[in-house]
Formats: sequence, C-alpha cells, structure tokens
Amino acid sequence: MSKRGLRIIIVGAGKIARTIVSQLVDEGHDVTVVDINPVVIDEFTQSCDCMGVVGNGATYATLKEAGIATADMFIAVTQSDELNLLCCTIAKQFGDAATIARVRNPEYNREVGYLRDKLGLALIINPELEATKEIARILFLPTALEINSFAHGHAEMIKLKIPEGNLLDGKAIAYVGQKSEGVLICAVERNGQLVIPHGDFVLKSGDVISIAATRKNYLSFLKLIGFNTKGVRDTMIAGGGIASYYLADQLLKSGIAVKIIERDPVRCNELSDLLPKATIINGDAADKELLLEAGIHHAQSFVPLTGIDEENIVLTLFAKEVSSAKAVTKITKINFSEVINKLDLGSVIYPKLITAETILRYVRAKKATIGSNLETLYQIFDARAEALEFSVNKGSAIINIPLKDLKFKKDVLIGFINHKDTIIIPSGNDIIQEGDSVMVVTTHHGFTEIEDILL
Amino acid sequence: MNISMIRYILGKVALVIGVIMLIPCICAMCYQEKEGITYVIVASSLMLAGFLIALVKPANTTIYLKEGLVSTSMSWILMSICGALPMFLTGEIPGFIDALFESASGFTTTGASVVNNVEGLSHTTLMWRSTTHLIGGMGVLVFLLALLPTKGGSQVNLMKAESPGPVVGKLVPKLRQTAKILYFIYLGLTALEAIFLLLGGYSLFEAVNTAFATAGTGGFGIRNDSLASYSLYGKWVVAIFMILFGVNFNFYYFLIMRQFRKSFEMGEVRTYLLIILASTAVIAVNICHMYSSLGMTITDSFFQVASIITTTGFSTTNFDCWPTLSRLILLGLMFCGACAGSTGGGIKVSRLMIGSKTLGKQFSLLLHPKNIKKIQSDGKAIDHDTVRSVNTFFVAFMTVYILSVLAVAIEGRDIVTTISSVAATINNIGPGLSEVGPAFNFSGFTILSKLVFIFDMLAGRLELFPILILFHPMLYRNIAASAKTDYIDPIKSR
Repeated sequence: MSKRGLRIIIVGAGKIARTIVSQLVDEGHDVTVVDINPVVIDEFTQSCDCMGVVGNGATYATLKEAGIATADMFIAVTQSDELNLLCCTIAKQFGDAATIARVRNPEYNREVGYLRDKLGLALIINPELEATKEIARILFLPTALEINSFAHGHAEMIKLKIPEGNLLDGKAIAYVGQKSEGVLICAVERNGQLVIPHGDFVLKSGDVISIAATRKNYLSFLKLIGFNTKGVRDTMIAGGGIASYYLADQLLKSGIAVKIIERDPVRCNELSDLLPKATIINGDAADKELLLEAGIHHAQSFVPLTGIDEENIVLTLFAKEVSSAKAVTKITKINFSEVINKLDLGSVIYPKLITAETILRYVRAKKATIGSNLETLYQIFDARAEALEFSVNKGSAIINIPLKDLKFKKDVLIGFINHKDTIIIPSGNDIIQEGDSVMVVTTHHGFTEIEDILL
Repeated sequence: MNISMIRYILGKVALVIGVIMLIPCICAMCYQEKEGITYVIVASSLMLAGFLIALVKPANTTIYLKEGLVSTSMSWILMSICGALPMFLTGEIPGFIDALFESASGFTTTGASVVNNVEGLSHTTLMWRSTTHLIGGMGVLVFLLALLPTKGGSQVNLMKAESPGPVVGKLVPKLRQTAKILYFIYLGLTALEAIFLLLGGYSLFEAVNTAFATAGTGGFGIRNDSLASYSLYGKWVVAIFMILFGVNFNFYYFLIMRQFRKSFEMGEVRTYLLIILASTAVIAVNICHMYSSLGMTITDSFFQVASIITTTGFSTTNFDCWPTLSRLILLGLMFCGACAGSTGGGIKVSRLMIGSKTLGKQFSLLLHPKNIKKIQSDGKAIDHDTVRSVNTFFVAFMTVYILSVLAVAIEGRDIVTTISSVAATINNIGPGLSEVGPAFNFSGFTILSKLVFIFDMLAGRLELFPILILFHPMLYRNIAASAKTDYIDPIKSR
C-alpha cells in the first residue's frame, strides 16, 4: 500500500489488542501499545512489529511518550469501562486523535449516545452486545451457521453447511442462480479450502457456503432446498454474565422464552430484577444433573456463555449429545481454530473478532479517500475472507460503467448492489450509480475503498 | 528452530556483502588496479550464491530469540569469511587465517591488523578494509531490516542480537523505519565527517576511508603511523567524530525530533562525556612533561582518550611510551567502551552505570536489610531482568576474557602484552599496550592466538551471548530435531 499508515495508540494489551494489533500492523499502520504491565508489553513487542510503552494510559506523561500529539487514532480497550472513558477523555485534551473506547457495562450502554457525544468519542464498542446481537440473529434462523447483516438490515449474508443428500449436492452455482431469484453464493469452503466461486463451480454435500440475499429471498431459497426457516421458541443460557443479560434481553423482547443458569446467587438476584420474564436457575452450569433437570434435552437452543471457553465447548458438545438443540458457542480467548473447526460445534461466535471488525472498519474508512466509504466489514471463514460494504460517492471511478467492462482483481466478487434500498444481485450489464452501496466478498485483505477491487 | 529462515537470512547477508564489495571495485577502477578483478569475481560469486540460497522464501518467517541469536552469529562468521576471501586471493595477505583475522577485525570494527606495511596494500584492499568497518559498525542485519519488507514483529530479535547495549528498543513503531532512521543518522554523520576532512585538504580517498573507519569506530588507518602525521585540524575532526559515533544514536533521533530536553537528559551520554573530560584532564597533567606545548598535550591526550573509549583505535602518538598512570587509564577505558546503541564496543557506559548502581543498592541493603529500592535510569525504574542480564554479562565477559588470556598466554609473551591484546580485541579497540601497542601489530602471534582473537572480536562485537550460544549442546539437538521436520515438509508440499 502506497499510502502512509495511520498512527494508532492502543491502551490495554489484552485479547482485543492482540487481535487488532497484528491486523493493523499488517495493513501498514504504526501501532503503539500502552499497558501498565511490562511483561505483556514485552510479549507484544516480541511478536508484533509495534512499539510498546509501559505506564498508565490515563496519564499525560505516558500518553506523551506514546506520541499522543501526533496520533491519528486512540483506542482504549482496558478491562475497565471507566478507565477506557478516562483515557479517551484525556487523550482528546492533548491531541487530535479519533478516540475509540470499549464500554461493556449495560448501565453505561443505555447512555451510549450521550457518552459518545459529550466525551467526543468517535466510537464506542461493546463486544458483548455485538456478539449477542449476532447470537440472537442465529437463533432467529437456527439453520444458519452465521448471519451478517448489510445495508442497514436490507440484506444479509448467511452461512450454512450443505447436508448429505441435499438438493444442492452436485449442482453448479449457475443452476442455483436460475432456480432462485435474488440469491448469490459468495464463498464456498470445502475441506478447509476457501473458494470465491464462479458460475460453473459444482457444489457438494459437506460444503459450507455463504449466501447473500434479502431476507425474503433467502427464506424462500432455504425453503426450496428443504431447510427449516423457523426461529427457536426457547433458549437455555449457561452463565449469567454481561453477555447473558444482553442476549436474554434481546430474546425476551422477541418473545423467546429464556432460561439462565448462574452459579452466583447474588448475580441470580440481580438478573431476576433486570429480567423479570426470564427463568433464573441458581446452580453450576457445568453440573450435568442440573442441566438435565433444567430440561436441556428438550430445549430448542442452547447458548453457553460462561467465562471459560473450554467449559463452553464441552457444554455445547454435551448439548449436541443429549438433545437436538441449536447450540451457539462463544469463544473469547482460545486460539486454536483448526481444532475447534473439527469439533462440529455448529455456530461459533468470536467476540474479539467482532470488535476487531468494527475497529478495522473504522480505521480503513478513515484512511480511504472521499470516493467511497467503507460502511460494513465482516471477516468471514476465520478471517480468511472479507465481506465489505462500500457506499459509493460522487467521483468514484466505477460509477456508471457496466460491471462486465470493469476489470476486477482475482478472487473479488460483487455480492449485491443496494440501489435506493432495493437489493440487486448484479449481472454483467448492471451499473453502480452514485449513492449506491456495494457489497464485495474477497480473499484479499486491507481494501479501504471501492476502487481497490479493480486491477 | 526455523532453519529455513536462518538459511534465508544467511543467503541475504551473502548477497548484501557481495553488493557492498562493489565499493572497493569502484575504487579499483579509479586507480586502475588489477586487484579489482579478484574483488569483482568474489563479489559476483557471493551475489550469485546469496541469490540462489535465498531464492526460496521460507513459508514460516517467524524468528524466535534463539533463531535471532544463531542467525546473527552465523551471519557474522559468514561475513568474516567472505570478507577474508578477496584479501587472501589477491595475495596481499598470504595466510588465510591472517586474512580472516583482518576481515573479522574489520567487520567487528576492531581495527587490529596483521599487515606490517599498510601503505603497501592496494587502494582496493584499503577501501575494502574501511568498508567492512562501515557495514560492521551499525550491523549488516540492521541494514537488511532496513531494506527487506518484514511481516510480523519477530524480526526484532535480529536487531536485539546485533545491536549493542543492555536494552534494545525501537525508535518508532515500525522496525523497518527504525532501521532506516538509524542508518540515515549513521550515513549522514559519516558523510559529514568526510566533507570536513575534504575541507581540511585530504584526498577524497583518504577522507572517505578515514570517515568509514571512524563511523564504525573501527580504526584501520591507511597510513603506517595511523593518524600521527595528520594536521591538527584533521586530528580534531576525527577525535570529535569518534566521540559523536560513540554516543547513543537515540540522542540524535531525539535531536532530529526536536526533543532537545529528552536528549540532553540522557544520563548515559552525560556520564560518557564526563568520563572523556576527566580522563583527558588526568592524562594531560600526567604527560605534560613530555611535551613542549600545552596544545599538543591536550590534542594527544584528548585524541587517545576519544579513540580508546569509543573503541576506535586510531592513534596520533605511541601512547605506549606514556607513564603508567596514563596507560592504565587507557586500559580501563578499553573496558568501559562507548554508549549503548552506538557503534562502539566494550562493556558500555550504561552497563557500568547499572552495575555501579547495583553495587550502591547492595550497600544500602547492608545498612537497611529491609530496604526496597529500584534501580533507576533516566527517571525510570529498570526492571529486575535488565539488572540481572547486566550482571550475567559481567560474569560472562570476565569468564571469556580470562579464558582468552590464558589461551594467549601459552605463547609466553609478557603479561602486559597478553592482557592488553585480549582487551584490545574483545573490546573491539585495535591497538593494545607493549608488543601490541600502536607501534606494533598482531602479525607475530601464533595461529592459535589469532583464532582466539577472532573469536574474541566476534564475541565482543555481538556482546557475547549470540556467539556463546553456539557452544551450547542443546542448540544442536534442537537443530537436528527441527532439521527433520523443517526440511521434509516443504519438499513434500512442493
């Protein structure tokens, strides 16, 4: 990339920092990590091409050493919400950086708009909330492994696995396109290999595919190929942390019955105050008898949200064993995607990746020129591919040219064009107009503007 | 152990050395010397070999600390051998061990020579000797880092292994950018010195050679009497630039970034300058009876102090004739060395500062056994690991030094020669005292002693551990184990 990278300061060298630092460095940015613990700073400077500063990120001296005066962006992702907000407020006083804070506490979350405006923050990220939104989307459509939403909810991309003996087995993608209107297969994963497919690509059972379409179109498509499109009616949640609260809150609002199993009686009381409609069970979710007693074998869905990844995985495997419940597993820390993919857990949610997506989107949008703006970014298939949505502004090089006349890079696919809230699955004759937004699926990384898809 | 990556780095190093060997070739062209042909042949074969070795980029480019240490020490051994080839093949230094000594002395910026008549060497070889100083001063791997695009952050282990000092940090977040800044400062200062010397009426050849030799704090002269026949102006220019190259390069970076306060508050630089002033004063008083004018006394004492503390090793007079006090001060300065993060060798001022503060802490612990005290440097507490690494460095240094002295002592020379010859090589100085003083050189030693000196020079330049780790048996078990896995896989996948 010829353009100079941004100068980015990250306070708090935790899980999220680890995920975003390496990606930001790979995309050419100058990253400085600040943490009070010299040991983790040492680990960061050993493993990433970034600078480390040891100190309290809420003090001027430390921020000055980290170069706040010339920084373009400031990201506070320490353990504590209050510290993050304080860091950002102080950073704002001494420099002109765009500030991003992680705020997780539901009490602050209710005032998130106010906080952002009054403190002059560019972005507030709430990994727990974002993750549970994604979990909720999956529970509304349990046959999907993953659902990503685009164009303010006008279009979605769903991931599913083709089962044995399905209609799609042995069919070419072009055939699928003829059979069902307005549905496009954007990416296929077969035996661990990711492909951005052409029309003549033949699907097989066991493939994991990503489909872009409007909700209406993909629902009729799913019905056509014999998938269940009903949402779940009840959910059992193991663990009663912040994420459980956010998830239960969303599900209850949609009329889904929620059962929460929490170990700590005090927290159980709090939850029952906050979520009067939910069934709160006080007990250890890792206790098999308790799970059976709570009725896991006839639950329609099961979401383990304990703080321990290993426990979540085991609970999901157990739920799969004793019931036909749709399970969604949240994995916060462990980093063995090769092994996890083999476990057949079904849907897996990585909150840190969701946060990283949000931050990367913001950083890339800041770097881009005025011709287009990156609206949405999802890293799909273990971040091996990206699904990006650009809004196309005046002056972009791709406006009003039929797609067949544009020279695209290899492994770039246009998923849809959103023209005045109408989703168009494009063909060669379609054109992109000013004010449209375009969804692109690609195995390239680091696209910042729509012109990057061109050769 | 990532053997493919070590192979790749070594290939690149050979390539870089080949390219740099073209500098003396240009010199050969200007002076129409036939030695140039040998240099061109060696250079092109190195470039070809390096290109072929580094042709296949390893799939996994992660370097852990051990790979960093091993590839650094192997690179330096490889460089020394490559550098010796043309000097040996042109016949100007007949013995290969002698050529290796000269080459290692050049790259490690020692400046100890086995050549009796320097003025008898071809311009090409003189240029090559100075060029080895230039590239050895900042380090060839740092040079590689500045050129190669690096992915991931593990390459910082290469810089750590090659750069002197107890703590190696980056100036800016990007390693490549840091390496570029360091080379920019380094080459900028070198060019400045060459310009000053040109203004003083020296030939372009002499100005460039002397500047290169000063920049790396090397000390290969191109005259038989080193710098004794230079004008007063020339001596002072070289002396001041020697001191400048002995300063921690962070100092210049802060200056460029206009953080004047930060640069002048660097405790190490202050102490370094203080040591220079104090030593100069004591020596000047001590030797003033030998000189007729005060100016010459100060010039000579200042020049010698600057030359020894920065571990350059130029001389303007035979300081071996000086009184015992002055000679011992110089011997002490040999061990002291320049600042960390400079091109100089020795133990480094910052290590001595940490060491003496540790000593002070020990005393206060005797008085107040429950006293908790952190050692500070530039207003920041130094973590325990750094203090421990400084202490182990002292131990390792003394062990290597004593063993080397014993090995050289087999020859049966006098004590001053034996002690100072090892001190002069392990600290990358060049001339020592007595039989290795400024008026003599290292040509008379036996092969065994020369090999010990070569080892000492490399160990001193790389600050011991990268070289010492090569002697750890566990390393070879490690290499053998990964040779099986590393080398079977890529072949299968291709």
